[in-house]
Amino acid sequence: MTFRGNLPWRIASFAVAAGFVLLWQWIADLKLVSPVFLPGPDRAWNALVAGMTEGDLATKLVATVERMIWGWLIASLAGIALGAAIGISPRMRAYVAPMLEFLRPLPASAIIPVAIALLGLSDAMVLFVIAFGALWPVLLATIHGFSAVEPRLYEVGAALGLTRRQTIMKLSLPSASPDILAGMRLGLTVALILAVVCEMLAGRDGLGNWILLSARSFRAPDLYAGVILLGALGFLSSVAIDWTEQRLLRWRARAR
Amino acid sequence: MRKTDKQAAARPVIEFSRVDLSFGDRKIIDKLDLTVREGEFVCIIGPSGCGKTTALRMAGGLVNPTGGSVGVLGEAMLKPRRDVAIVFQDYGKALLPWRTAHGNISLALEAAGVAKAERGDRIEHLLEKVGLPGQGDKYPAEMSGGMQQRLQIARCLAQDPKVLLMDEPFGALDAMTRQTLQDELLSIAADTRATVFFVTHDLEEAIYLGDRVVGLLPDPGRIGTMTEIGLPRPRDQLSTREMPEFLALRRSLFDFIEKAEA
Repeated sequence: MTFRGNLPWRIASFAVAAGFVLLWQWIADLKLVSPVFLPGPDRAWNALVAGMTEGDLATKLVATVERMIWGWLIASLAGIALGAAIGISPRMRAYVAPMLEFLRPLPASAIIPVAIALLGLSDAMVLFVIAFGALWPVLLATIHGFSAVEPRLYEVGAALGLTRRQTIMKLSLPSASPDILAGMRLGLTVALILAVVCEMLAGRDGLGNWILLSARSFRAPDLYAGVILLGALGFLSSVAIDWTEQRLLRWRARAR
Repeated sequence: MRKTDKQAAARPVIEFSRVDLSFGDRKIIDKLDLTVREGEFVCIIGPSGCGKTTALRMAGGLVNPTGGSVGVLGEAMLKPRRDVAIVFQDYGKALLPWRTAHGNISLALEAAGVAKAERGDRIEHLLEKVGLPGQGDKYPAEMSGGMQQRLQIARCLAQDPKVLLMDEPFGALDAMTRQTLQDELLSIAADTRATVFFVTHDLEEAIYLGDRVVGLLPDPGRIGTMTEIGLPRPRDQLSTREMPEFLALRRSLFDFIEKAEA
């Protein structure tokens, strides 16, 4: 998603969203679906406001955001460091790549039972699962980015007398940065999903748990309030990544 | 002025002695003997596959010979060194797209450990020298091919090179830009007194620029002809190219290439 679009497009996309909310309200008002399962946007909004002001929805939101961000940061740092080490050496790639291809398609939620067995129903477990799941997109993108550096640039670096460290920091890393950022964007989505799933499975306090408990006690408006917050969270994190990408990759925008 | 008297006196800067190079079974270069003297401008021509670019890469330390030796400034050239600058033909790949013109030149100074406070002035000066004054904020993708190649030359000059290795640097440019850059290169070479090893497939360019033109033969690459260019300097795009000597040289080198390709 990029938001360099002009005003008419923004109005149009806003209109679509507004139309969707109206449709939702209409279906709820006509009771096409039982209000026990589908409250209208008005009731969901009221529950959201009540939860944020009187209830502890804000605390839960913060807990989920913290998990997501920390897990994602750990995953990103580890992914970039490992990916750089693997991507820079063809031999390492040959050794490690097949194993990565085996591990990569494993759904991260499949390791939750393993993580619970090892770390218990703790925050450390949740963080581990999030970091593990969000690691893959970053790791694979970084490996690709580092292995796809233009060979000519390395010759330029050699002719200029760059040290190995300078070569990595000034040539490889910036050259791989578009790939790395794309991987980090995917990783952030994975981190949010896993934060919610872990909260549901392990009963840690947060939006995931809030949604699960609301559903179990038939508090549909609260449930939707949680879902709306999750949607907003996903949207905001995407906007934040967009903003970062546009700043860091300004040279790409200028080139077009 | 550059040539004649110095030919005997000047010390050798690039020395190929009985250089062999094979990739597997394939022999690329066979017993190449060539000495380029200080301040000399040598142009290398030859049909494709004659190893002219490979010879340049050996002089730059990017490829090592499998037999014989390549020496630059009295030392074996086993890996690149900072006072030997290489200008690549594909400027689009050799420039860092994420750095501005300023940043691209800065890379050479960063590598050489020049203090940050000093870089700004030197970069401005270099940009002026290659005809890009005030263009420091542009990214390579915002520049024309000619400007990008000027930028690459500026980055090489930032190395304070004693030797300039140029691999068909103007091959991808249009004719007018090429002529302008040829003249600018000649004045830069005269100013810096750098030794230039210039690979090209353009015969007229070789004669126009060089003190000496070396023609290589293909399969395996070896020296086929060596011609001193006695044309007076400074050279001029119109009058030099109209001189009878120029035309005679053009004819004989053209014949050489035709035979080499046959």
